[in-house]
Parts: sequence; C-alpha cells; structure tokens
Amino acid sequence: MEVPDPSTSKTPYGFLTVGVILLAIGTYIGLAVAPAETYMGDVQRIMYVHVPSAWSGLLAITFAFGCAVAFLFRSDFRWDARMEASIEVGVLLAFLLCMQGAIWAKPTWGVWWDWDPRLTTTAVLFFAFLGILALRRFVDDPVKRGIWSAVATIIAYVDVPIVYFSVRWWNSLHQTQSSPNTVSSQFYAPLRLNAFGVLFLMIGFIMLRSRIATYRLQHELAAPPVLTGEEAGELA
Amino acid sequence: MTPEGVVTGGWPFVWAAYGLTFAAFIIYGVTLITKLREERARAAEDGNRT
Repeated sequence: MEVPDPSTSKTPYGFLTVGVILLAIGTYIGLAVAPAETYMGDVQRIMYVHVPSAWSGLLAITFAFGCAVAFLFRSDFRWDARMEASIEVGVLLAFLLCMQGAIWAKPTWGVWWDWDPRLTTTAVLFFAFLGILALRRFVDDPVKRGIWSAVATIIAYVDVPIVYFSVRWWNSLHQTQSSPNTVSSQFYAPLRLNAFGVLFLMIGFIMLRSRIATYRLQHELAAPPVLTGEEAGELA
Repeated sequence: MTPEGVVTGGWPFVWAAYGLTFAAFIIYGVTLITKLREERARAAEDGNRT
C-alpha cells in the first residue's frame, strides 16, 4: 500500500482563521451582550462553549467512524490518517466537554461529577477513543495498526448514540437536548456563532493532523535510506 | 435578597471554562503547526537520502 503526498494547500489555515473569528465574536456576545439566564445566572454562559464542544466532538468521532469503514473497504492509508486525526480531535473535544461540564455542575448541581448516564457514557467515550490512540502507539506494523484501530473505532462508536439518547432513555440530572423551541432567542447568536467557530476549528485541526499522520506513514513505509560508505562503516 | 433556587456568583466558573477551552485550542493548534513543520523537514530529509 502506498501513501500519497499530503496536500500543501492553505485550506486548513483558512478554516482555523474563520473558526477563530467566529469564536471571538460568539464569545464576546455570549459573555458581554447576552443576558444571564433566569435561574442559572451567569454560569449558563458556559453553554456557549459546552454545547459546541459536544456537537463537534460527536461529529469528529462520527467522521472517524466513516474513515474506519472506508479504510477497511478501500485499504487506502489516507483514510487511516484521517481516522487518526479525527479520533485525536474528538478526544480533545470530549475531554473539554467533560471538564466544562464538571465546571458547570459544581455551582448548579453542587458536585463536580456524578455517575449520571450522560456523564458516564461521555466519559466512556473519552476513554474508549483515548485507548484507541494508545493502541495505535503500541502497534508498529502500519497495516495491522490501521485494521485493528479501524475495527476498534467501529466497536467504540456504538457509544455515540448511547451518549446522545442517554438523557431520554434514563432519568438523568443532565437536561435533554435543547432546540430553538426550548432556548430563548437571545441565546441563539452566541450559541450558533460558537458552534460554527468550533466546527471550523475542528475541520482545520483534523486536516492538519491528518497531514502529520500521512507524513509519519510515508516515513514508516519508505524504503531504507541508501547509506554512504562512511555511514555504513559507522554502523558496522 | 437573592431568590431561592437561583445560582449567583458564577463568573469564576465561566472564566475557568472559557480559559480551559481556549488554552486547549491554542496549545493544540500551535502543537499541530510545529509538528507539521517538523514532519515536512523530515520528509525532505528522507527524500534527499533515498
């Protein structure tokens, strides 16, 4: 299997720039313009980073699932690189999601953590995909690594719908999914701007990380270098 | 007097959540750009040696 050269286009930097701008505007509105929520007060402003992290995190993991399936069917290392990249970005967002949730939980629920279905299934998601990243570190053969981690990604993905529906299936401290019908219109702008901001950052990060993974694969699969007489003598 | 059931004084939690989020994004972004440069340099080196 060959690994084609990674793209050198500036597109990921474009995504990152737009993401930063959207996030900056959304955060300004969320912190300085939008009103405090009636019962949760200013703490509710955490929603403007918490919800976008959740959406983009689950999206990144879903993309990893798609890449895993594509890799198994097409045996193309580009999908393996994209899978590694999207898992890593998904794990980062899942970590932030848990941390933001804990910070929000303390003043509203009185505890940093609770073994609530939504929190528990999200923690399982984080550790499952962190485990897949660890697995990739321990396997030297790129083909085995790609196949094993693709299969593990497909199995671990089962947790994503469970995370999403956990608040409906079980009694949960965590609120159910919000919709325009349940959120005040004053909260729309910062939430949507930050949602697109985090989404654009996520895409930019995945593209850059995918290039790094492709370069590493190329290095691993490259033919051994031709040694000069001096280098060969040193090795002998 | 604060009405019962209303959360007050939440700004430190808000700053903590935003600070953590933005710090993570900045550190991760900078790390990616640095690693990408390193991998590009190594790829060029590999190309010269083969």
